[in-house]
Order: sequence, then C-alpha cells, then structure tokens
Amino acid sequence: MFTLTCPVSRPARDHGAHHHGRDGRSPLLLAAALVVAVPGFLVAACSGQAGSSAAQNDAIAARAATGGKVPVARRRPDTLLAVRLLAQAAQAAIVTSYQGEEVVTRWSQSTGGSVLVSDIWHVSGGQTVTQTLDAGASSSSQPYRSSDDDGQAPEGVLGVTVPLVQLLETHYVVAYAGAGSAGDRTAQVVEAWRADGSLAARFWLDDATKLPLEREVYDTAARVISRDVFINVRFAKPGSAPAGTGASADPQGPWTDPFSQAQLLALRARGWLVPAQLPGGLSLFTGAETEASTGTVLDLGYSDGLSVISVFEQRGQLPASLAGWRKTTVAGHPIFVAEPDQRSLTWSGRGMVYTVVADAPTQTVDAVVGALPHDKPPGFWKRMTRGMVRLASWVNPFR
Amino acid sequence: MSHLGDRLSALVDGELDGAELDRVHAHLASCEQCRTEAAELRALKKKLRALMTGAPAEAAMTRRLIAMTGPGGPMPPRRRLLRVVPGHRPATGPEPGRPHAETRRPRAARHRRYLVLGTVSLVVGLGTAAFTVGGGGEAAPGPRITPSMEMYSVEHAITTGGVPFPGPPASSGPDSEASAP
Repeated sequence: MFTLTCPVSRPARDHGAHHHGRDGRSPLLLAAALVVAVPGFLVAACSGQAGSSAAQNDAIAARAATGGKVPVARRRPDTLLAVRLLAQAAQAAIVTSYQGEEVVTRWSQSTGGSVLVSDIWHVSGGQTVTQTLDAGASSSSQPYRSSDDDGQAPEGVLGVTVPLVQLLETHYVVAYAGAGSAGDRTAQVVEAWRADGSLAARFWLDDATKLPLEREVYDTAARVISRDVFINVRFAKPGSAPAGTGASADPQGPWTDPFSQAQLLALRARGWLVPAQLPGGLSLFTGAETEASTGTVLDLGYSDGLSVISVFEQRGQLPASLAGWRKTTVAGHPIFVAEPDQRSLTWSGRGMVYTVVADAPTQTVDAVVGALPHDKPPGFWKRMTRGMVRLASWVNPFR
Repeated sequence: MSHLGDRLSALVDGELDGAELDRVHAHLASCEQCRTEAAELRALKKKLRALMTGAPAEAAMTRRLIAMTGPGGPMPPRRRLLRVVPGHRPATGPEPGRPHAETRRPRAARHRRYLVLGTVSLVVGLGTAAFTVGGGGEAAPGPRITPSMEMYSVEHAITTGGVPFPGPPASSGPDSEASAP
C-alpha cells in the first residue's frame, strides 16, 4: 500500500463533465417525485431498518411534495435503470474475475488529502486478495485474502456491495445519468442524490461487465470528499485465477460470518451495546465477532449506503498511552485518533473499549463519537477519594 | 500540569515497565517540567513513608503532650470574663487547687495552637496531595486493550467493499493485544 498525506487538490463537482446525458430528465416535478419516494418508503418499511430509514424516506416524500429544490422528478425515469445497474455492479464484483489497482483519495478539512494505492485480485466465486504496494511500517503491508465461498461476506469494489447498494437505494434517490468513461473504458454513470436535492455520489460502472470503475462522494457543499478509482483493470475468464493470488495472509479469518438481524439484536441480551441507528442516518446492517487473547471483540457495521462506520467493542480499558495514536477531543470527549490515517478513533467508556473506523464525513464521525458512551471526568469527591486511596497505598508497608 | 498525566503517578509507584517505561523516561529526558513534578511526587511519597517509619519518635512526643493535660495534671485555666465593679478589686494570687494557673496558661495555649496549626496543615497538605494524585484516568478493572488495527482495518475493508488502510504500528508492550487465535 502506498499512502501519503499531501495537499491534494480537491476537484469541484462538475455536473456536465462526464457526458452523463442528463438532458432527458423529465420536468414533471410533483407526480414523479411521489412515484420515486413511495417505493423507497416501502423498501425501508420492509427491510427491518424501520425507524429512521422510514422517517427519512417519509421526509424525502414530504419535501418533494412541497415542491422544494429536490430535483427528484428529473431523475424519476432513470431510477429503475440505476437500481438495476447498481445491482448488476454488486454482482459483478463477486462473479467476475478481475485484477487491477485501486486508488483511494480522501479529503478532509483537518488533514488535507491522503492517497492510498492497493492491488486487487479477485477470482469469480469469492476469493479476493488485496495487497498494498508500499506500506513502510504500516500494519496492513501484508496482503490479505477474503473468501466468500458461502456467499455471505459482503464483497465488492469501491463500496459497491449487495448490502450497501440496498442501503443506498433506501437512503438516497439513485438515478441513471447516461454514458461516460473511466480511464480508457466506457462506462454507465449512476448518481445518488440526497433529499435536499444535492448530489451525494456518482458511480462509473464498466459498460461491458458493470464492474465499478470509479466513485466520487460529495459533501452537502458539493465538494468532493473521496474518490476511488479502479485502474489498470484486466478481466479473466470465470474460473481462472488471476496472477498474484498465491501469497496471501488471512488475518480476518477468525471473524464469524456476518450476523443476521436477529443475532444482532440478541447481542444486547449478552450485555453488548448494539444501537440500531447512529447519527447521520446510519443503520446497523452487519456485525461479527472474534475471540482475541484479551476477550471477545464485536464488530458492528453502520451505513447509509455511502458512509460506512465500523464500531468495534471489547471489554476492558485502554492503556494510558497508545503508540501511533494521539490524544484529541471530539464532541467534548477526550479520545485517541490514529496516525496517519485519521480514520480510526478509540476510547474507553464504562468498562468497554470502543474503536471507530470510519469512511464518513467528519461531522458524521463526530456525531457518532458523541453518541456512544464515554467516562465522565471524576468529580471533586471522587477524585479526592481516589487520591487518598493511592496515597494510602504508598505508605502501606505491606504493599 | 504534567504532560504525562496519571503515568507520572504510575512511574513513581513503579507500575510502569517495558516500552511504557521507556517512553516515559524518554519524555522525562526532554521535559524539565515533568522531571520537576516527578521529583516532587517522589519527595512527597518519601515524606509519607518517613512519617510511618518515624512513628516511635512521634509517639513519644505525643505521650508527653497527653501527659501534660492528662488525668492527675492541672487543668488549663478557664478564661473568665471578669466583671469590673467600681470600688471592687478582684482577688489576686493563686486560687486554691490551681496554684500555678498563670504560669501554665501561655504554654498550654501555645501547645494547643501548634496542634491546631499542625492538624490544619496536615489536612490541607493531604487534601492537595490527594487531589493531585487522584486525577487522570479511571483505574477501572478489566484488561488493558490496545486496538488491533490490522485486524480491524481488514474487517472494515470487508464490510465496506474497500481496501484496508495503514494504521498505527502494533504495540509490543505488555498491554498489547495478542492477535486473535
């Protein structure tokens, strides 16, 4: 993996730069908006993500009906095609044999830009090998392999997996935006729009295979906050293993298969904190656990289809200091943030260590950190009591 | 305020070892403020221990003080408000049973004043020391966890359909979490 932090220039969003063919959008605002919003509401109601997802879709419908700035109606005729293309893309990431380089670029106001390059090999049917190109002392320099022989692991490329596509269609309005190109390959362009009418993401899907080739994610101010590009892509015949899949490690092996919704809810009875929703419209959609030497580690996955946040929980306490992490304050709470990626945050709270790994805007991450438990700073008497106990331990001759 | 937080207390207590101890020593080597605070904490701890080891000598002093006011000895003179009546001169000279009240009054008052001052100083000093060393993180039970970011990063990549990213290096200290079986 090659990673660096640098002042990467942030491109401005350009609606017309990718030959999206948006001229064909219908001007039938009100009726079409309802046609788009109502299926979204029904999907949410049936998907087990009932709470805020349904409310959000309800809000989409309400805003569209009021004739706000939501350009939903213009996307209506292209929505069904977009849904079909995204489903094909998620499947293509599994059933197609391919290899290439994924270039992941992130922008944030606090850290500037960061670029990460990784080689990917995938064999049709389920095995994926990802290897970083140059990691120096980073912890993920070794290639890792993920197998999906039972079809349960949410494999994909550029964040296009089956579960995430379903969430994307629930939380956003997707629309086909015409033909385009990504690198030297022709592509179909699909867009995801927020309820307020702003563009949230744009996907370039390979015209021939529907494999995702590029993805851009925008914040509400129309700034690009991430760009993932799959370059130097080569396809192989189904069943033939791409070169480079031999040497691989399998560090994710101990994790269980993804939990079902019932299993996730049952975790609460075992004392785990399992919120169904997190701030930013993020819904719980997956989870798994593993046994480490220091106890059970639980992983909970939250997403709205574009932003993904993994919350890792483990009973215990953080040490006083962590190498490679720095102390900072988020949402008024003292926490550790990992260097250099700035995407991982960890803290102790009520006997549990929470570690958040985020692919999400900064404000969403801050809200999530604020919503999870933290230890309050000790009050005066508690601090005095603790100090007395410590002083007594110093003069205790039997210690 | 120390840069080391409760690690300073842990250092004075001898609770640090391995890489953690090396890191704290490295910081102390370059930070005069923390060196000073460490020295003060060590001095405080030394004095507290000395209080315990010097207990017999202090006990002798305490016995002498108690003997001065104990049963069989003269009671300290009670302060009385004297009503001055014109033409009436209060009686002077030792009262029966209290032959040396005037000579003992200043010494007893002085002792009592020392006792009060010593008690107040002890309470304030102990309170300040307790407040100082009682800060920092909660020493709650449970294992010390260092997040295994390699494992977390890969799991997150699988969840997102993305690629793992470089994280902080794995700690080699005793708090480090071993890799999963």
